[in-house]
Amino acid sequence: MLERCIGERRIRQIQRATRNLKLTFLCLLLTLLVLRGTIGAGKYGTPQQDFIELRHRFISHPHRALAEEHQPEPKPKQSDKDDEPPLRSLNNPYSLGPKISDWDEQRINWVRRHPERPNFLTKTKPRVLLVTGSSPKPCENPVGDHYLLKSIKNKIDYCRVHNIEIFYNMALLDAEMAGFWAKLPLIRALLLAHPEVEFLWWMDSDAMFTDMAFELPWERYAPYNLVMHGWDEMVYKDKNWIGLNTGSFLLRNCQWSLDLLDVWAPMGPKGPVRTEAGKILTKTLKDRPVFEADDQSAMVYLLVTQKDKWADKVYLESAYYLHGYWGILVDRYEEMIENYHPGFGDHRWPLVTHFVGCKPCGKFGDYPVERCLKQMDRAFNFGDNQILQMYGFTHKSLGSRRVKRVRNETSNPLDVKDELGLLHPDFKAVQNRAS
Amino acid sequence: MGHEGMVFKPGSTRSGLPTTRSRVPRGRQIQKTFNNVKITVLCGFVTLLVLRGTIGVGNLTGSTPESDDQHVVEDIDRILREIRTDSEPELEDPLKFLYFGNSTSHNWTYTEAVEAINYSLGPTISDWNQQRQAWLSQNPNFPNQISSKPRILLVTGSPPNPCDNAIGDHYLLKSTKNKIDYCRLHGIEILYNMAHLDKELAGYWAKLPLLRRLMLSHPEIEWIWWMDSDALFTDMAFELPLQKYENHNLIIHGYPDLLFEQHSWIALNTGSFLLRNCQWSLDLLDAWAPMGPKGIVRELAGKILTANLKGRPAFEADDQSALIYLLISQQDKWLSKVYVENSYYLHGFWSGLVDKYEEMMEKHHPGLGDERWPFVTHFVGCKPCGSYGDYPVERCLNSMERAFNFGDNQVLRLYGFAHKGLLSPKIKRVQDQTADPLQVKEKLDMAARIVMG
Repeated sequence: MLERCIGERRIRQIQRATRNLKLTFLCLLLTLLVLRGTIGAGKYGTPQQDFIELRHRFISHPHRALAEEHQPEPKPKQSDKDDEPPLRSLNNPYSLGPKISDWDEQRINWVRRHPERPNFLTKTKPRVLLVTGSSPKPCENPVGDHYLLKSIKNKIDYCRVHNIEIFYNMALLDAEMAGFWAKLPLIRALLLAHPEVEFLWWMDSDAMFTDMAFELPWERYAPYNLVMHGWDEMVYKDKNWIGLNTGSFLLRNCQWSLDLLDVWAPMGPKGPVRTEAGKILTKTLKDRPVFEADDQSAMVYLLVTQKDKWADKVYLESAYYLHGYWGILVDRYEEMIENYHPGFGDHRWPLVTHFVGCKPCGKFGDYPVERCLKQMDRAFNFGDNQILQMYGFTHKSLGSRRVKRVRNETSNPLDVKDELGLLHPDFKAVQNRAS
Repeated sequence: MGHEGMVFKPGSTRSGLPTTRSRVPRGRQIQKTFNNVKITVLCGFVTLLVLRGTIGVGNLTGSTPESDDQHVVEDIDRILREIRTDSEPELEDPLKFLYFGNSTSHNWTYTEAVEAINYSLGPTISDWNQQRQAWLSQNPNFPNQISSKPRILLVTGSPPNPCDNAIGDHYLLKSTKNKIDYCRLHGIEILYNMAHLDKELAGYWAKLPLLRRLMLSHPEIEWIWWMDSDALFTDMAFELPLQKYENHNLIIHGYPDLLFEQHSWIALNTGSFLLRNCQWSLDLLDAWAPMGPKGIVRELAGKILTANLKGRPAFEADDQSALIYLLISQQDKWLSKVYVENSYYLHGFWSGLVDKYEEMMEKHHPGLGDERWPFVTHFVGCKPCGSYGDYPVERCLNSMERAFNFGDNQVLRLYGFAHKGLLSPKIKRVQDQTADPLQVKEKLDMAARIVMG
């Protein structure tokens, strides 16, 4: 038909033209693609980026979850398999141990019978046991153990200056309560085995002391049995799952605490119990992502749903950093050194810098490995400087392992006092009691 | 199937379209097809090349979890290397020329080198006892005894950088936990050092300036107990018999016959010793230090020590040989205040002990401290933190694990647990929980026999 309108020759010309156009267009496209591949087209991306995006969309990354259990389990050997406990069913309630109802009485009698181990070191200062720990197996990350070592040295230093005892746990007391729940059976066992301990201070292995001069305000806590860092409004009003932090908290050794542990534990057992509990928690608490039940969310849930029973003995501390999220603190250390001094414990000089989400022992955390490790070094040195200054030294810089002398030796060493007064501070003084 | 699809009747022509192809001869057609195929293949080849250049063929198959791990491992390796290398330059040392052995102009002797370096731990103090007494009387809140027990500070440490061998840091961690446990049970303070206070006295000599500094800063401490990082407590119930040492200032494990008769370089062990906080100790440290300074002094001193001590291999001066040499050559001055202890294992060489732990648990009980139940098991020569030790790595690591668990069992018994085996990190309950935990605690004897199984 067209042929009849224009003429055969014309048709052939048009066909040739279209063919050429097609070829030109194809070559142009190819050129553009190659250029994009080599130079990159800015916000239109490169093939590499495309590929990565595609991969992300279609292959899920299992290590982005906040749950701790995503350290790949080693292949269970036959002997391991034998002592793996069967997963608890939902209608079989978990118990931390035989019920005790007269613990306060038992404890008072013990302390009376053993005056050489009093539960108060001075009128106001209680006997405190700092509890922390890590896995008995080597870290998957080759530098993980090194950072655990630095972290325990940091805790040893603070506790030596403040006359606090340390318990470093490396044992899994109850295989059902593995992961972040492992602290519950441990805390109960320690409370019952150490009646002379007045306060148990749980501290995560990824938390470091950065204010060596800050003594906890023990008189403030006389009417309370549980002290955690957090905000009342965020917990009781907002029901926010990060309204408090269970990475660093104080628990008094008394009947109330045993009861609390009993009420806290049921969401913990591995398996369907923990998974189902996780769903309840995500539904009830604000902003909580979907994953199995963790001890922190369970604590918020407990306080929110049973406020009348527990809240009067719980103190949510926000006047100083009993737990300080590292993300907002670590870049300000130099500023703090310039403007403030140790002893504040708060945003001016944080007591604790807690590396939440870093997981230096495992292979995957929520933050880039390099940033975490470098910042942990800085936090460690920041705290270590306060210890070294007692002996006349300091780190060459917050990022350096080397130290330099800042106070010369003299032949009258006792005339010189250290700037922060940490060598013989009041809170370490021994009360002279008539024997 | 219900209806039939379109039925193609073979040979039916499609109406309306010009069949120009029938006009072209067959040969031409084949050539054309061939050309097209060539072009297709060429284009395909070019596409593959371009893709390979941009994305990479390997990635086309998708990355497996192993290669994911591979990336993370490479990342961590790179960061590790950065952390390990000390990127800071060494300060220029005015006496650097002394550090190089064969200087052409002068053949140094040991005494000349010592004089030239003129090293000192600090300004001489001669009235430390009086200074200390005065301070103690002014500070009654920091007495040198608590509940009539002299105050002890246990000092240990390790270098500030990660170990060359990753497992080394894991055992440093376990060793620290082990020391924390013993010290908590016995009311002893701990100090873990990770700083090089004096770069001249680096290595095993680093303990000297540290001990001196701690004595002078803590007059309330009566005894400073140095313990190597590779020494583990294996008797948690053993209490140091300090009343034996009232007239002595240095308590060190060793054998008098090896020391005085044979002049052996392993007659004493400086991996675990007690030093009283007093003038005598300051003087001892001052007399001990001269062989320590890095470089030519340490080398020449090493030669003297190898010549005078039995069995000593040729290497630079170490603190242990230097102390032995000092005590032998200046016996009259020092020996009266040195207690060479071997009635219990203040230091216990690991090789002869670690295989006997099961036998010990069967026959004996904690609290003895001697060959029946060693107080300290010291992993001399293992060097888990470095790359080369004197013993096979596997044997060292297994033995350290056994020693750690052997000690840990004595701590766990307080809570009703024990390790499943001396090589196992897992624990099992050995005492049922009760509603009356303090009755159990009253009856608990730290020195009672440990029953396994």
